[in-house]
Amino acid sequence: MSAAFKGRREDRRLVTGAGRYTADWNQSGQLYAAFLRSDRAHAEIVSIDTKAASAHPGVAGIFTAEDTKAAGLVFPPPFLPFPGKGGQPIKVPAHGILASGRVRYVGEEIAMVVAATAAAAQDAVEKIEIEYQDLPAVSDVEDALKPGAAQIHAEIPGNVSLVYEYGNEAKVNEAMAKAAHVTRIKLYSARLVSNPMEPKGCLAVYDAAKDVWDFWSSTQGITMMSGSLATHGIAPEKARIHAQDVGGGFGTRGGAYPEYLVVMLAAKKLGKPVKWVATRSETFVSDHHGRAIRLSGALALDKEGNFLAFRLDWTCDLGAYPAGAGPFINTITPMLTPTGVYKTPAVYGLHHLVVTNTTPIAPYRGAGRPDGAYLIERLVDEAAREMKIDRLELRRRNFIAKDAFPYETPTMVPYDSGDYATLLEKALQKTDWAGFEKRRAESKSRGKLRGIGLASFIEPAGAALAPKDQTLLKFGSSGNLVLHSVTGPTGQGHETVMPEIVGRELGVDPELITLSTGDPDGPPLIGGGTAGSRSMSSHGAASLMAAREVIKKGLELAAKDLEVAVADIEFKDGKYSVKGTDKSIGIIQLAKKQSSTAGSHPMDAGGEVPAAGTFPSGVHVAEVEIDPDTGVTSVLRYLTMDDCGTVINHTLLEGQMHGGIMQGAGQVFGEECQYDRASGQLLTGSFMDYYMPRAGLIRDLQVYDHPVPSPTNPLGVKGAGEAGTTGSLPTFMNAVVDALRPIGIHHIDMPITPSKMWHAIRAAAK
Amino acid sequence: MYSFTYTRAKSLAEARDMLAKDQDAKLLSGGMTLIPTLKQRLASPSQLIDISRIAELRGIAVKGEHLEIGAAMQHAEVARSNDVKQKIPALAYLASQIGDPQVRNRGTIGGSVANNDPVADYPGAALGLGATIKTTQREIAADDFFKGVFETALKADEIVTGISFPVPKRAAYAKFPHPVSGYSMTGSFVADNGNGVRVAITGAGQGVFRWKEAEVALGRNFSLAALKGLAMPSRGLSNDLHATAEYRANLVEVMTRRAVASLTGGK
Repeated sequence: MSAAFKGRREDRRLVTGAGRYTADWNQSGQLYAAFLRSDRAHAEIVSIDTKAASAHPGVAGIFTAEDTKAAGLVFPPPFLPFPGKGGQPIKVPAHGILASGRVRYVGEEIAMVVAATAAAAQDAVEKIEIEYQDLPAVSDVEDALKPGAAQIHAEIPGNVSLVYEYGNEAKVNEAMAKAAHVTRIKLYSARLVSNPMEPKGCLAVYDAAKDVWDFWSSTQGITMMSGSLATHGIAPEKARIHAQDVGGGFGTRGGAYPEYLVVMLAAKKLGKPVKWVATRSETFVSDHHGRAIRLSGALALDKEGNFLAFRLDWTCDLGAYPAGAGPFINTITPMLTPTGVYKTPAVYGLHHLVVTNTTPIAPYRGAGRPDGAYLIERLVDEAAREMKIDRLELRRRNFIAKDAFPYETPTMVPYDSGDYATLLEKALQKTDWAGFEKRRAESKSRGKLRGIGLASFIEPAGAALAPKDQTLLKFGSSGNLVLHSVTGPTGQGHETVMPEIVGRELGVDPELITLSTGDPDGPPLIGGGTAGSRSMSSHGAASLMAAREVIKKGLELAAKDLEVAVADIEFKDGKYSVKGTDKSIGIIQLAKKQSSTAGSHPMDAGGEVPAAGTFPSGVHVAEVEIDPDTGVTSVLRYLTMDDCGTVINHTLLEGQMHGGIMQGAGQVFGEECQYDRASGQLLTGSFMDYYMPRAGLIRDLQVYDHPVPSPTNPLGVKGAGEAGTTGSLPTFMNAVVDALRPIGIHHIDMPITPSKMWHAIRAAAK
Repeated sequence: MYSFTYTRAKSLAEARDMLAKDQDAKLLSGGMTLIPTLKQRLASPSQLIDISRIAELRGIAVKGEHLEIGAAMQHAEVARSNDVKQKIPALAYLASQIGDPQVRNRGTIGGSVANNDPVADYPGAALGLGATIKTTQREIAADDFFKGVFETALKADEIVTGISFPVPKRAAYAKFPHPVSGYSMTGSFVADNGNGVRVAITGAGQGVFRWKEAEVALGRNFSLAALKGLAMPSRGLSNDLHATAEYRANLVEVMTRRAVASLTGGK
């Protein structure tokens, strides 16, 4: 399949600097926006005086909460279509687009200046006089939950916005009581900054005659953006969303940020295009953050090591406001795969979602999946050690068998398909697991600590962002095809792989097919964007269905052309043939013979598929070496054996794995967004203080597959976008702990910075 | 960025005059620290005087037992210079480890020593080799030049023109790059001058400093064995969210050992 792969079609544009990101779009006469942001974590706004700023040369307008309120713009409640424990709905504060009365995190938007130049706008922002009265701040969930802690919202007493539970607590308690052994663990999944290469930004143009905006912004899909704008008070038909190239999404480019709404408002009020592009410093404080979860878990086993029950407790930081999918990802997502790949009769999860004086939390690559897999897979490794059962053997004993599908979890979620035992055996063969102790001894002779670890994980994919996803294939005049879809590519290679799916089905060169995704003049299509590892099982499968419809529509036309009955026609390898003869016509040739009227061609066809939940799984193996002198951990090898269902294009799948694993490695080796606990000031607000993984971190990375097709969609695919991240947190950390076990260390928290590692090793030596 | 005027000085004399006339002017060489500072609106100079193309500040020359490097020489130029590689390979190596290719092809040696960032690499080489900093007004020994965090002996109207490095018998630089920024979290520059040893530490403390105890020990016996049992006190070293002072003290010991080992074949 990928033998003929000639590279990604989008790459010529992207690597030659011809990509067009938000900042590359301009309109004549445009004005520039800049924001005044809170420089403190928690304070009453006593007064705002914009007089001096208004008088600054070039200033066209200043917008505050009064303006956004008057325009009917709102900060929408989070997406959470279910209640918490005891039927209690999530507690959501009243809040506007811009801060009014109070600021609740460093970086919160207070006012926007629009001026003739970006520099003038920034100058004027500095002239806004604002008086604060500081309030005590809580930047950590532990502090927020203490009795007497500062209250961030009147509507959220005790700072707990939602308590969410799943599974059966009584059954779990019973299992724990009668278990031969219970393993307990506490872990931390740090707050992360998504840091897409492209900062957020937008350009808005308002057409007063039509009462419609044209709106350019980086987004994970135009329907995601228009849907999000709608929740903020701008109806979908009022905003024409343009998106071409997007410099990274990772979950933090799903919807509209507050700034976008104010920019749109300004474009309408001032009657001129308004543009805003964030600085990297603004990205750090105001792009929604990811993770920030304290995890604790218990695993009950009988004396043979059979799993009896999991108890999972998550304390999740929501940031200052429950926003977007922030609450969703740390409730329903982990509920979908609560016992991993292990047959376990009972599970109970209890999640507390807590507000703090920090930047709001949103999905970030994996969005609850890596955290869940990390908790389960660390529990399994520790249970194996405590019960003196080999960690591979313990997994083999508890794997859900490959003939058990569809398998229903104790939370009544059906897993689609899988073969976890085979994934493990194949991964072990590729890594020479059996020869590891020899390699450990060799490292030891050089004074180094070597470890090997694995995780056998599963994750939910194919997020149901829409009830169904539609695509439309339209013929052009030269026999070419345009595939319309509302997928939101942010680097995955959709422009290459979606046409491949169609080309293969039609039996034509994929080069004849062009993907169109971010076009406001495109056909109206139902569908979600690109998030939750869904594009292939939704847009990809819908593209296949559209191709099949095209073939069907061509049947009658081919029969007419070949002067036979439809029943005598068969379609194969791009050609309609008269059965039993050598008479045939190619599908493109047939299409060219048809006349199209008013932009509509008789063979144009749409396809659609319902939302499909898939459950990709995998076994990842890492081998690491720690230098006790410096505390540096080196990755010697990383290998994956994944089941992402049917593989359409292995190279692009590898790309997804590489990126996902590197982002997991970032969290393992250094990424951690830190606030000063007392003041709530962000301490890691630039690349001087916030770690990013570099390409050299993993030098030996091998990606293998063992596909078990999913029955949920016509392509048989499962998600792949987040599997790398989900697998890599537990895999790396199991390897790191394995390296440390000989010196008596069985737990260390991410990120394993050299300083932290050196102190841990030194403490163990004492 | 606030607005300012930009002038490219054609000669050292012109740059000196402009600087003397305008107290709020700043010299621009590679701009590796200045430009980010301006972009963050943390400084508002009246004008930038670009000295990066002044011929008098360019060039690398061997003068007897000294290697002289012009202030406007970029890190990449120093790293690939045959003269530097032959005379002081440790210096060429140090230059090759600064930042990334973009930084190495913009940042200059004069800018680095004049800025005296405590986590920069060049101050380690200058102090470790006992270099002389040449300016428009005088020559300053490295021992007298570096004055703590971002402070030097330079006067407001004084411009670094070049650095003269005595060629050592042998020297080595071992750097532990900061995992986040790539700057030196700790770097140890060890130079054996034939009649004495200098050990300069960068990154770990509030400015580059000499580890005198190690110098004495290595002066007596230039070997790993001489460093055995020698402990770097952590007091006064940097302690922040990335690394503790104790850890940095350990790195001083480890990096010094590694620098020495690279010169003694591991002995």
